[in-house]
Amino acid sequence: MIKLKNVSKIYPNGARALLNIDLEIDKGEFVFLVGPSGAGKSTLIKLLYREEIATRGQVIIDNINLMRLKPREVPLVRRNIGVVFQDFKLLPNKTVFENVAFAQQVLGKNKKTVKENTLRTLELVGLDRKMASFPSQLSGGEQQRVCVARALVNRPKILIADEPTGNLDMENALGIMELLDQINKMGTTVVMATHALHIVDMMKKRVVRVEAGRIVEDSKGEASTIGI
Amino acid sequence: MAFDSARYILLQALQSLKRNIWLSLASVLTVTISLILLGSAVLFLANTAQVAKTFESQLEIAVFLEKDYSREQLSDLQKQLERMEGVASVVLTTREQAVWQFEETMGSDSLLEDLGGINPFPDKFTITATDATLVEGIANKIMAIEGVSKVRYGQGILEKLINFTHWLRWVGITVVAAFSFASLLLISLSIKTNVNSRAKEIQIMRLVGASNAFIRWPFLIEGLIIGLTGALVAILVVGLGYSWLLQYIVTTLAFIPVVANQQFIINVLLLMLLSGMAMGAVASLLSVRAYLKF
Repeated sequence: MIKLKNVSKIYPNGARALLNIDLEIDKGEFVFLVGPSGAGKSTLIKLLYREEIATRGQVIIDNINLMRLKPREVPLVRRNIGVVFQDFKLLPNKTVFENVAFAQQVLGKNKKTVKENTLRTLELVGLDRKMASFPSQLSGGEQQRVCVARALVNRPKILIADEPTGNLDMENALGIMELLDQINKMGTTVVMATHALHIVDMMKKRVVRVEAGRIVEDSKGEASTIGI
Repeated sequence: MAFDSARYILLQALQSLKRNIWLSLASVLTVTISLILLGSAVLFLANTAQVAKTFESQLEIAVFLEKDYSREQLSDLQKQLERMEGVASVVLTTREQAVWQFEETMGSDSLLEDLGGINPFPDKFTITATDATLVEGIANKIMAIEGVSKVRYGQGILEKLINFTHWLRWVGITVVAAFSFASLLLISLSIKTNVNSRAKEIQIMRLVGASNAFIRWPFLIEGLIIGLTGALVAILVVGLGYSWLLQYIVTTLAFIPVVANQQFIINVLLLMLLSGMAMGAVASLLSVRAYLKF
């Protein structure tokens, strides 16, 4: 599903964010990316949804080589990838329903489909009762659920999460992890960058550790835990 | 699906105008002020050009002839003058006509008798040129024609007048150019602020895979609506203001040649409408473009 071959990313200012990364993630996997701040986790994640372009190497998502993608093809690839952020990135002047519906409306889906998909997805994340609220009226955990719903509503094959629990307390964080696990069990490939090692330990999934732009540990094939 | 998209885009544009009402009003006001400046500048240019043209068209060359010419000779000479390059019109005043004119001015009817039957006036041609700058050249050529005794064309004053009208035109053009630039700058700044305030929205649209075209549309329509609204207000102000000014000048300062051509004024107002919409749209597209780089 995701294949990185000898990927390096050097920013225009000379910062070497990633060096010779090889990584393969199969369909339906749940993978944690861990490592200290500035190790390159975020850059790696941005390469996956083509917010950044690798300086060298190949990034292949669902058999599409992102390195050979024309700019106007980028939106088509993004429709297969849902992204969840630490800071939610919800639109403050839209309701919960509108925030989730928005992701479909911008793809030109018809009103009926938008409504059905939005309701179904809000139900999945447990927010169907709050769909008329604005983000400011929700707790952090609820806002992150809206964000997950928005990422999922177009039924992407891959869900990418960059520190999704970073701004949440333990209880809310566990709730989000439960949700991501559920989504993964429904067949979506999940890649999550995180600092929260206790969560990684608890989930018992594949862990890829990145340090100074290189992969220093990969527990592929075994549901690993790492010591805190 | 196309219908749903169009409907969504239009609603989106209107909704964002409404939700960002103060920013929208500020943009509309900017467009209005810019277009009032632009429209006024164009009308100013047209009027300075008109004043310059009127002054220049009043420039004449007076050609005095030496001796008695027969009617046929005068007529031949007139034809020769009319054929000259740059000559717009040639009017003959014969010696006899000159006497009558003089008598009329003096209120006397026995001038010729008083002078002992000798007519002191020569035959005279009054010539106008197609362009003020050609006057001197034409005058020089005429001077070389046999039988011409004197040529008068306001030597000395002519250069000053041409310099003045030249200067007047340049002032007009500079004012229009400066105001066009200023309005474009003002409008793009204002719309840029509008678009920047919604960077997050654009970012999310991109993340969920909206095509660039889809992202651009609502902004384009917003820009058009802002430009159109601002232009309509400006047209009202300039249209009413100019017609009031015309009325004032025609009744109190009648010697100033103003541009009162209806069609021309309508064209200026149309120009304002189109530039308002165009500037709104272009400014929107340019501002959004900054966020659409992949």
